[in-house]
Amino acid sequence: MSDELVEAIAEMRDEEAIDLARQLLDSGTSPLVVLEDCRKAMAIVGQRFEDEEYFIPELILAGETLRAISEIVKPLMTGSDDTAKNGTIVLGTVQGDIHDIGKDIVSFMLDVNGFEVFDLGVDVPPETFVAKVREVQPEIVALSGFLTLSFDAMKETVEALQKAGLRDDVKIMIGGGTVDDNVREYAHADAFGSTATDAVNLAKNWTGVGAR
Amino acid sequence: MTTNITASLAPQADAGKSPEQLLAERSARFEDASALRKPDRIPIFMPVSFFLADWGGVSHQQLLEDHDKRQQLLERAALHFQPDSILGVFNDPRAALALGDRMTKWPGHGLPETGSFQFAEHEFMTGDDYDAFLKDPADWSIRTYLPRAFSQLEGLALLPPLAMAAFGTYNLLNLGVLRTPPVAAALKALAAAAEEQAAADAWVAESGQRLAALGFPPPPLVGSLIEAPFDFMSDTLRGMRGVMTDILRRPAQLLEAEDRVLEIQLEHAISFARTTGLPYAFIPLHRGSDGFMSIAQFERFYWPQLRQMQLRLIENQITPVVFYEGVWNKRLDYVAELPAGKSIGWFQASDIFKVKEVAGKTLCIMGGMRNSLLQAGTVEEIRETTREVCQRVGEGGGFIMCTGIGEMEGCKPELVEAWVRATHEFGSG
Repeated sequence: MSDELVEAIAEMRDEEAIDLARQLLDSGTSPLVVLEDCRKAMAIVGQRFEDEEYFIPELILAGETLRAISEIVKPLMTGSDDTAKNGTIVLGTVQGDIHDIGKDIVSFMLDVNGFEVFDLGVDVPPETFVAKVREVQPEIVALSGFLTLSFDAMKETVEALQKAGLRDDVKIMIGGGTVDDNVREYAHADAFGSTATDAVNLAKNWTGVGAR
Repeated sequence: MTTNITASLAPQADAGKSPEQLLAERSARFEDASALRKPDRIPIFMPVSFFLADWGGVSHQQLLEDHDKRQQLLERAALHFQPDSILGVFNDPRAALALGDRMTKWPGHGLPETGSFQFAEHEFMTGDDYDAFLKDPADWSIRTYLPRAFSQLEGLALLPPLAMAAFGTYNLLNLGVLRTPPVAAALKALAAAAEEQAAADAWVAESGQRLAALGFPPPPLVGSLIEAPFDFMSDTLRGMRGVMTDILRRPAQLLEAEDRVLEIQLEHAISFARTTGLPYAFIPLHRGSDGFMSIAQFERFYWPQLRQMQLRLIENQITPVVFYEGVWNKRLDYVAELPAGKSIGWFQASDIFKVKEVAGKTLCIMGGMRNSLLQAGTVEEIRETTREVCQRVGEGGGFIMCTGIGEMEGCKPELVEAWVRATHEFGSG
């Protein structure tokens, strides 16, 4: 492993990090090792975000650095990257709402905390959530929404999971915009969160990974 | 037309008063609150927006596009709920549609007719565009930005540099470009959009007059619309992802661009106020909330420019009405530094009691009722919250009761009634 690469990513020296990754690969370092360094760096970034040392600028820049390095690494990959995951989460912004900022941050934080996240994107109809839950059998469903309109869409999504007989198999968290405990009750979700860290803690609690 | 003062929600104290008298009293309540004085009772402002559609049984698209229906519902809601001021949907999709606006989505146009208006962020300005933007923002905006952001304005990219206009008669040699099909189409789309916007503006003016005739003044935010310089760079230009990485990758360019858009917007707001006589500048904030950036970043990239904007508006006798979106609990000390009694702060989800404690002697506080409570709460919860907010935040004046956001879509009519009634009850005396 390369401490230099981990540090360059975690300290927001994006161009240096990408150069370093390229040099490591050129000098024969395994792509898997480079990816593992990226994962370590992302865990540091995620931790600093939880500690409120880093904020959205750092999360986004680290995400872009990771994407750039992944693009260099991917063509060189021969085996599969089958790191064990803490749990599976189906995530999306509910129908009628196209806001993605909060959802993307939650997605990032769940990912760096070892969860396998299936991000369905924005304006996701209830039936799409149902189909994905049936397919990947997650422990958790996470619904995002910024508009007040999304309260009803969250409720409808929970109802659709209920009707499909899947509600009892999953824990459901909601978040975004003006979501609070009134909305949680209204939508019949299990919990709500105001921040990405809330989402991580809920997911850890529900999957028994142990929250901080 | 006379005011139906027998409506059940009208406070007893308003019985028998003429619309003129009600208009004067309600206006005075907002003026008193804005100046941190204590009005005779706490004014309540209802930004109903798409609530009107559900309440009146029309689609969102119809509410936006049928001005007569919209006005009819607005007047009916004003008379029924008896707030001190009401605001319906304030925008109209037609100019945006005529220009092929790529950053907005409207009910019935790309969204179901029951959908809500949405802003779709794009990175219309790339990081590499900073140099051109800083060199000549006007030229870059017209020849590079508009063709990217509006599908019907793509032809503007063919224009020669705008400052060639200074070449006087010799520049007439370049006029032929205006007749080429892409440029001609863009100019035609602009003319059509201008017609649509003029019609929408005329309706807004007429709507205000008709509500005033019924005794309802405009809310204390009708004026120019501007943004914190950081948000200006974020919302319509770089997008949030772009601008957030600019903080780390190109801080000097971002700061210089913020200075430019600060001056451009101040010039606009000051001239707007002088031309229209409207004394407010509405500044909805987006990225200043707790959680987006660190305090150090906020102190460098967000607050100094926003503070400067407010100070300069105040110097020019304009009242900044700032919508503090999200949560500002960790940033209230900055807000409290503003000149006392010169601005209004509309708080979405900040701890409203803490706002009163920290900034209550600085600005008039607007807000206090969470939208989720009006949608999913009970009458008892509404009464209790309203009582506490009126007593604690309304204490000594400087408070306008309002929902957390300027959209009451989804609120239950019976809960809205309970809220207005409780505000009248607990906001008096």
